[in-house]
Amino acid sequence: MNTARAGTLRQDPARPQVAQEDPWATAAPLVRAAQSGDAMALNDLLSLLTPYVSRLCRPIALNNSADAVQEALIAVFQGLPRLQDPRALYGWVRTITVREAVRVARRAERETPVCEFDDLAWPRSPELAVDVRDVLRRMSTEHRAVLVLRELEGLDERSASEILNISSGTVKSRLHRARHSFRKAWPR
Amino acid sequence: MNSNWPTAELDPVRRLRVLAGGLHAVMYADAHLDLPITEVWAVAGDLEHELPHLVPTLRAFRCYPTSGDRQLAWAYGPLGHTARFDVLLQPGWCLMQSRCVVGGMAAVPEGSGTRFAVLGGLRQPWSTPFQRALRPLGRSRGLMMVDRAARRALVRRDRGPVETHGDR
Repeated sequence: MNTARAGTLRQDPARPQVAQEDPWATAAPLVRAAQSGDAMALNDLLSLLTPYVSRLCRPIALNNSADAVQEALIAVFQGLPRLQDPRALYGWVRTITVREAVRVARRAERETPVCEFDDLAWPRSPELAVDVRDVLRRMSTEHRAVLVLRELEGLDERSASEILNISSGTVKSRLHRARHSFRKAWPR
Repeated sequence: MNSNWPTAELDPVRRLRVLAGGLHAVMYADAHLDLPITEVWAVAGDLEHELPHLVPTLRAFRCYPTSGDRQLAWAYGPLGHTARFDVLLQPGWCLMQSRCVVGGMAAVPEGSGTRFAVLGGLRQPWSTPFQRALRPLGRSRGLMMVDRAARRALVRRDRGPVETHGDR
């Protein structure tokens, strides 16, 4: 049995604080064990990564976020043997997850087109007005992804552009339009 | 952010699908069973009595609880060979691995029935291309295992869990 599992986060009540302090450092031995084919370590790593991957996928993929989480985690684990430095796990997972979430959301949009802001009878209901999800749902996938990386993850434009494979200028213009759309749909 | 976000937690079947991808497992299959999850998991979770019915290459499977939901198990093959397994067994979720192989089962309610999934594969990284090539065969094997689980659930419904280890 691989000793890396001693670092298990959820199933070791003796070490609950470790996950809160630095989950990525704790993940390093799990990554090494998972790369050698240890299924139990892979299972523990899955428990560790799922909340973070879910947090990134929800605002981008919305109602398809369960599919996005699954696809992102499959891509992460299939690529895990190629991850040379476990300390890079955080950024690596983020890049894969955002790209997969965008891909899943675009696929869903092709099947179910979203409506435009101007098409909406918007909003007289205060309940609806406080629902951020409804506002995001009316944005394009690309705008949601930029918002998540800049506002939720706090990345600069250059880092966001690298993850999304677009220029910094495009990130800037998408962010401008996304913020404008958000303000327009969110009267205060 | 508010509390109305769509949920994105991985259910056990999706979780097993992710592990199958990560392990490049040769065998993965899931299917809907027109049986309640309690009956399906009564079979899948009863490793000692039922696993030899589900896996044809297994003569007996003995479990020894270690801590919490972890178990140590010994698998006995028809030709007398043995293998030690680490087992994680939770409601709707089972993961097992020996030095050479890994196996898993998962179940979630689906409509009035259950979605049941099985996984099997080799642990060695060098086996990845072989496992990938044999995956279509593995899927049909997996579906057969799912079918055996459904039939065992029906047997237990009729007779109750009365048969002993390896009694097939």
